[in-house]
Order: sequence, then structure tokens, then C-alpha cells
Amino acid sequence: MNYLTRQELAAWLDKLAQEQTLIAPLDIAGNILYRPVTDTHEVVWDFVRSFMSVKEVFFPRTERLMLIEKTGMQVKLTETLPDEKSIIFGVRPCDARGLLTLDGLFIENEPVDPYYALRRENTTLIGLTCQSLGPSCFCTNVGGAPDDPTGMDIMLTVSNGGYVAEIITEKGEKISKRFPVFDGLSEIRPHPSPARKHGLKIPPKEVWPAKFNDDFWAEMAERCLSCRICAYVCPSCRCFDVRDETLPGGTGRSQSERIRCWDSCNGIPYRRVAGGHNPRFMKNQRLRNRFYCKFYYFPIHYGPVSCTGCGRCIDACPVNVDITEVLGYIGRR
Amino acid sequence: MTDKMNTNPMLPYLGRLVEVKDIATEIKLFRIEMLNGGAEAFHDYKPGQFAFVSAFGVGEAPFGIANIPKNGGNVVDFAVNRLGSVTTDLHELGVGDMVGVRGPMGNGFPMDNFKGKNLIVIGGGIGGAPLRPVIQTVMNNRADYKDFQILWAARNPSLLVFTDEYDEWRLTPDTELHLTVDQADSTWNYGVGLITQLLERVAPSPRNTITITCGPPIMIHFVNRVLVDKLGFSPEQNYVTLEARMHCGIGKCGRCNLGTKLICVDGPVFSMAEVGALLESFL
Amino acid sequence: MPYEPKIIAYLCTWCSYTGADTAGIARLKSPANIRDIRVPCSGRVAPELIMRTFEQGADGVLVLGCHIGECHYNTGNHRAAKRLLILRALMAYAGLEPERVRLDWVSASEGERYSRIATEFTEGVRVLGPIHWRIADRKARFVWEQEPISHRYSAFSDEQPKHAVYFTTVHEQQTQAIRAAATELLVNKQVDCVIGFEVGPRGRTRPAFIHQPEGVERLVWNQDCTHNLSAYLSKKLGWGTDGGKKKQPDRLPKAAIMVKPCDSRSINVLLAENLFLREQVYIIGMACDGIRQGAGFNADKSGAIQTRCAACNVRTPVVYDSLIGDPETTYRAIPREHIYPGIERLETMTPPERMEFWLSQFDRCIRCYACRQACPMCDCPICLYERDDSLWVGMGNDVDEKRAFHLGRAYHLAGRCVGCNECERACPMDIPLSLIHRKMAQEMETIFGFRAGMAAIPPPFVTILGGEENLP
Repeated sequence: MNYLTRQELAAWLDKLAQEQTLIAPLDIAGNILYRPVTDTHEVVWDFVRSFMSVKEVFFPRTERLMLIEKTGMQVKLTETLPDEKSIIFGVRPCDARGLLTLDGLFIENEPVDPYYALRRENTTLIGLTCQSLGPSCFCTNVGGAPDDPTGMDIMLTVSNGGYVAEIITEKGEKISKRFPVFDGLSEIRPHPSPARKHGLKIPPKEVWPAKFNDDFWAEMAERCLSCRICAYVCPSCRCFDVRDETLPGGTGRSQSERIRCWDSCNGIPYRRVAGGHNPRFMKNQRLRNRFYCKFYYFPIHYGPVSCTGCGRCIDACPVNVDITEVLGYIGRR
Repeated sequence: MTDKMNTNPMLPYLGRLVEVKDIATEIKLFRIEMLNGGAEAFHDYKPGQFAFVSAFGVGEAPFGIANIPKNGGNVVDFAVNRLGSVTTDLHELGVGDMVGVRGPMGNGFPMDNFKGKNLIVIGGGIGGAPLRPVIQTVMNNRADYKDFQILWAARNPSLLVFTDEYDEWRLTPDTELHLTVDQADSTWNYGVGLITQLLERVAPSPRNTITITCGPPIMIHFVNRVLVDKLGFSPEQNYVTLEARMHCGIGKCGRCNLGTKLICVDGPVFSMAEVGALLESFL
Repeated sequence: MPYEPKIIAYLCTWCSYTGADTAGIARLKSPANIRDIRVPCSGRVAPELIMRTFEQGADGVLVLGCHIGECHYNTGNHRAAKRLLILRALMAYAGLEPERVRLDWVSASEGERYSRIATEFTEGVRVLGPIHWRIADRKARFVWEQEPISHRYSAFSDEQPKHAVYFTTVHEQQTQAIRAAATELLVNKQVDCVIGFEVGPRGRTRPAFIHQPEGVERLVWNQDCTHNLSAYLSKKLGWGTDGGKKKQPDRLPKAAIMVKPCDSRSINVLLAENLFLREQVYIIGMACDGIRQGAGFNADKSGAIQTRCAACNVRTPVVYDSLIGDPETTYRAIPREHIYPGIERLETMTPPERMEFWLSQFDRCIRCYACRQACPMCDCPICLYERDDSLWVGMGNDVDEKRAFHLGRAYHLAGRCVGCNECERACPMDIPLSLIHRKMAQEMETIFGFRAGMAAIPPPFVTILGGEENLP
């Protein structure tokens, strides 16, 4: 096995950071967030879960799709595809699962979204096994696990004061060979992963339709604020809005960009059309749609359930709308 | 531009406006000549499909394609009702201006399945636009279809679309054109009343008949009720084209779902049997 | 090239624009930096317009109107006088030197006055230098060292309990009183719904909506009842605020609501703005001792009360139908200078430092709009900053846009915000929004002697109260 001390790991990451963009967990005003760093001296090594998932590296909050330049009657379009190579250190298994879910939508379903696909191709994931589960974590109930290496390129497990490293994919192999750190000669084995949680079962697709018109949705939605926090912190939510916006520097609209940015079906204007009609103007319709999309519609279209059990939405909701309560209700006979 | 155009589904083709004409109050017909590879992409689009038209600098919006392919997909028609920011900007444009076109998207009407059947086309207001290619298809292949009835409605006469084509429609063999408005004015010589009332008056037989309806959701709902409850049609015979707010058109942004169906990819054409089976209402 | 400030001047068509013309005819010199925009009245110059002017690249904004008492529309310049005072205070607090905005009066014949003011103002702005609000490449780089204020959850493994039990002190007496009141209201069908608090399965206190008498057992009053439930009132009681469908109900909807003193002030603001009628709401007022830090999420085990509660001097609801709890025990005498905590922290900084602080805070914003949704006062069917045509601000995540949204919202809440702190509590990125809103509340009190929500009257710059000629 490969074994590294923290110093060795930090030194290796520092060297990689000089060649590619290194993204690592930082403490920003008390929030753990993945941000680009030039070296590892501010990186947070011990944390349970970041506040925002790594989704924002691959599917940024705002992204330019193309540049639009108008001169007279002529229009020139320049697509702006991402080309940066990066490495993300400290990815949790739930986040990697979220990326696999988004892969099902953006890459495996035609047509391929080139912006997301290029970023996935150009990014290497270094995962970190969870040593403990947070009170709101339920990854094991959606088929994940705190030590699940699926989706990672290299998987690190905290062990004996350092890290045991498993090289999983070719991409992982490539960066591991950049600098002589991994010799595969250690006898140290990774610690067994922490106890799994039991209890909550994800109801299968088939039971969801019967509950569509239940009063439960109106009851739960009464306290929902229709903010969008839950969708934004979620590793697998992916709704977006597209619009053209003028850039400074030109006259009138001679220079603009087409951007896409995050949106959520919870927001009131989500389905409102020009003219004012909004087929989902009731809060319970919107809240219900979000859960059905995750556990019923998304699996039908793309395969996986669109939830990784990370629990971020539970912790972030200001009024305690709780996905596990929803799943408990649906699962009840 | 480059052949990357074909691999990036969010990048539109460029199109030049070759004709812009008023066809009703606040409704204009845009004829767009496709450039830089777009003609090939639109070579054989089907009636019922839609495309995103970009008003560069403002945004893009989905519009039903309003004609059958002409000149190998070179010229594509859209009827645009001025209502929001994109459509207002489009209405400011004139001949020679460039727009973007992304498409064709969606599933289109299964015209082959309709061959040998009677067809009834029911259009309400701007909803008539995606039905025009259906009418053109029948006109161009008259022998493939049996009796043809067109029911065309609007709130008032100034909102009826394609008025200059009615004579041509009427001249097509075995074709009836019925017009109605909710509120007539002094120039109006035809029927007055809701589309549902017209439908009941015409009372088509459901035997070997397909209906195609397009209009505001509430109209689709009531027309279907009349067809099923009063005239004996089964929901499988009634086709509709639905709409929703869309931003990608390719099944990624998640916005246009109606229950399990995505209107951009699984639709916009559905039979009312499919719509009825959905958990969510389209209203 | 030496720096030349870009000045935009909004001139009212009746007085100041003509005054500028007079200056021109008399060949008086005015700086070429000024671009004039003619408006019908200085009252038309909305504060959002001024903020947008700065965002679009202006270094200074000059607003000139008719003298007080001479406005062609009677009261337009009165409004401008009040609004711009508040706007200047907001912008100063956000890091813009107040000398960059000036409101003055110039009559049609006062060409010389126009010329003098224009020259003075331009020179003043030139000394200040270019404004650094616009970030050229639209990426923020600010990092600000500050104490973490997150109580949302412990992100650090050594503090994370394996099986957390969230311990709250339920106040038994008040809880029983609330349940009794709610039962009576529901049994007698005086209200359709009682809006209160309950404790969820994870032990977090959260809003509860009780429609049947059997459900009142869920209601509690404890140290974690932090939510401002009046945020739900306009949708429950108003007509057509949900989806924009105007519908006149046959029977007015009615609800009962549990409110803390701060929340009761919100109700007054909503009543003043005619969002619903007084008879539609039965107010169960709670005399309040303060709410715990972290309430609504994972409460602080130490039980320390929130900063805003420690500084609160309104411990009894200002409007209620029944009062629960003992005002004598909750009363606190807090000197006026302590009721706006935290503001002095920014006031000791220079404007560029303040700007750096705020930009680093807004950088974290993810535009989830939770602050707006949690706020009872933010009720516009279509938010100015979320329009589909991006008229006032784009939809992206640039720090410029986020700043525009937050400052614009702060202005919209001036004279309306009651300090319930829901915006800051809901914010997933711990942006200290209360600092801005509290500052605006302090300015309202200093300038107009007005505190929002103490009575059901609108803030002073909505109605004309007079005395504008004496404003600074």
C-alpha cells in the first residue's frame, strides 16, 4: 500500500499546485468551502463536510457559454469552453456520488454538455474517507458509504497519523507519478470505516406516484420559504437559467455574453412565462416537484437517484424542511 | 463558424431575417434564412418541432416552427407574439438583422401515423403557428389523408393569424375551414363564440379521426373535454402540443418537466392519453 | 492622462435644468466632466437609479432640484430630500464617500449657482479619486480576516457529537397558555390556522401551522423560537400574492400568530402597507426574554442569547390581541446608544476599508435569496433584482451584482426593517446583513426620530411630514 504522512501529502500537493490549479477545502468565515489555492498552508485537513459541494467546480454558479459581438448587422459568436486543468483535494464520497449523478445527466445523456464534460475530463479527484458521520448524514441509505471510492481518481484514508492512498484510475496514476511519493511498499492498512447508520430506507420509484396528491406536501410546504438554499448546496441538483447580459465597454448591446447560472424549481419565478402565468405558483407544487424530481423523475430519465445522502439541505434549511422526513413519509405504508 | 458548432448544443446557428411581416396585433412572422450550417440541421424538421430563437443581447426563447422545410431547410418561419423581453427585442428587428436559431428540437407530430385518417386541426390564437406546417403537409400530400377540417379561433378578429392564407386552405380539396372569435367587430362576417361552441356545432365524428389542438392550456383542456365527453373521442385520438418556460431545450436544465415527461425532449407533442396519465397537470 | 472624474447630474426640467441653461447662456464656466440628464422632477430620481449610476461607471452623482417650497409638483423635492439623506448614509456605510453624492437646489434663474455647485462638486470628486466599486474582470479577490459567526453547525470534527441531542428549555407555563388560546381560537373557528412554533423530529424548533384543534399539542414556546412568523402572513391572508392571481375571497382568511416583540413590529409595518386587514390576524403576543444563539439550527449549548436580543429594549409586543408572559420580568432598560450593536465596528474604518469589508462579505453570497424570502417585508411579486430582463442587475454571481442586490435591498428596508435578524440567520454564507439594516434603522431614528413598526404607520419618507427645509 501507499502510505504518506501529512507533511509528505502537503509537499506533494504543493508541487502539483505549481503545474495545475489545486482546489482544496478552506475555512472562509467559518464555512468550509473548496477554493483554488496556490499552496497548502491554509488548507483545512480535518473537517466533516464542506458547506458547498464540489459541484460548483464542474457546474459553476455562473458560467459564460459564449461571447456575442455585434458590429452593424454582423454578429460574431465565440464559444468559451473551459480548458483549465485542476486537481481537487479532499473530496468526500458523497460529493463524488453527486458528480456521477450529474454525469448521468450532462454526459451520458445525449447531447453531451461540453462545458461540464470538459471540466470533468480535465479534473482529477483526490478523495478523503470520512472518519465520522455527521448527525444529518445518510449516505449509506442511498447506496453510498463513507469509504466508498467510486468516482475518485485517488482515495486517501486517514490511518496511523497519516494517509493510506489507493490509486484507482489512470488519471490518478498520472498525477501520482508526477513526483516520487507513492512507492506502494507500506505495510500499513487503512482503518476500517466507521459504523454505518441504519434505519431510513429510500422508497423505490414505484411507491412515489400514489402519494403525489397527498396533503403531506401542502403541510410540509407551509413553512418552506421558497428560497433556494437546498438546491444550491446539493451535490446533485442541476437546474439552470440562461440569459444574455450586456458587457461593459461596448455601446448599447454591442458586446454581450450568454451566461447560465444556478436556479431552483423551488423559486417562485421558475416556471413563470412571459404574460405572467405560472403553472407552479403554489408552494406545495414546487416543493413536491423537487422531491419527485430527485427520487422519481431523475431515476426514470437518467438512472441514479438524485440524492447522495450528504445532509447539507437538512442543515442549511432555515425552517427545517427535512428530506429524511419526506422519505420517511413516502416509505410509510 | 467552425464545425464545433455541431458538437456544442448550446451554441446557436446564425440566421438572417429575410422577411418580417405583421400577421396580427402584436404578432409578427419572421422568415429566417439559416446560415453557417443551419440549413443542413433544419433540412428535414418535422411539423410540431420547435427551435430557440435568440435575440442577441437579450436571450433566447422557444418558438414552434411555423412552416414545413423550404429550400432544403434554408428558410424557417416563426410567429412571434410580443409579450416579454426576448419577444419585444425581436419585434424591433428588421430585414437583414441577424438572430440565432437553435434546433430543431422536440418530437414532432407523427404525421405518418395519421395517414389514411380524417384530420381536425384546432388552433387558438398564436397557437395556430405550430399547426401551420401540419396544414401545409396535408395540402402538399392531400391524397394521404382523408377529410380535413380546420377550426381556427381567436379572442377577436385582429388576433387571428395567417388570414391571407385562408383562401388557399379553403381551396384545398375536401377541406373545411371554420372560423370563430370570442368577440366580433364590425368587419367580421363569420361565426362568433368560443372554440368549444364551434366544435360542438361542427360535431365531427370520432371514427377514424385524429384531432390536433394547439392554444392556451385552458383552451386545450376544454377542447379535450368537449371531444371526449360530448363527441365520443378517446384521449388517444387527441394530440396536443404543449409549452413551458424553457432554457436549454435539450433536457438538461430541468425546467420544462411535466411530471415524468420533459416537454422539450419527450414532447412538445403528446396525445391526451399521455397527458392524462401524468401526475402533474399542465394547467 | 490625469484622472478626470465622470459626473452624472440629474437635473429637474423645471428649475435646475433651466438653471444650467442660464449658466450656459451667460457663458459661465462649468466643468466638462458633467453629463446632464433631464428628469421631470428631482423626486423622480430613485435611489436605485443613483446606485446604478455608480455601478455603470460614474464617480459622482449630482441631483439638483427646485428649492423647497417651489417644486412644480409640490412635493417631489421633499421626497428627494428625505430619500437622498438615507441613501447617502447607506452608501457611506457601504464604503462610498458621502461627498460623491450631492443633492442641492437650483432655480431657473440661478445660473451662477449652478456653475458654482457643479465646479465645487467636480473638484471634490476629483480629490477623492476614482471609485473602486466596479471590479474590472468581475472576479472578487477579497479575503477579510474576521471571527467566524457561524452557528449553523460545527464543521470541525473534534466538535461534532456523534448523536446530537438538541436540548431546548421549553417554557411550560407559556406553552400551556398558548395551547389553550389556540384551542379556543380553532374550536370557535375564529381563525383558519394558528401559526406558531413546534419542535421537529431532529430537535430543531421550526414554524408550525395548526389547522385543527387536535394539532395544538405541537405548539411550544422555548428559547429557540427565533423565526419571524409574520413572514407567512401576507401569503396566508393577502389576496393574490401567491402567483399573482388576483382573487377577491368571499370570506376573508384569518390566522392567529405567535409573535415576539420584534415580530409584532413587523405586523405593524405590514398593516401600514395594507397587505392585509387588522381583523384578519389574531395576534398572540409573547413577552420575550431573548432567544438563544444558533436557534433554528443547532443551538448553542451554552445558552447565550443572540446579540440582537441582548441589545433589544422592546421586550413586550407592541400590538397584540392576547399577551402571554410577564412584561415585568422581561423588561430591560437599554440605553439608546446600545440598541444598535456592531455598527461602530465599521464606522471606525475608512471608506476604502469599509468597501473592502463589504465586498469580501458579498463575495460569498450565492444569490439564493434566502434573506429576501425570510424577510416579512420583502413581498414584491417580482423582485426588482430578479427581473427576467435583467433591468437593474444581472442574474450572475459577480460581486458587483451581489453588492447591487444587497445594498438595494437595504435601502428598500430602511424605515421598515425591525431587526428580527431572519435575513442573517437564513443566510447560508453567514453574511452579516444585520449590520447594514441596523445602520439604516439607526439613521432613521437619528434623522427622523422614527422606529419601524412601533405603530402601524408608514416610514417618514413615504408620507410628507414637513420640515424638509431643515434637513442637512
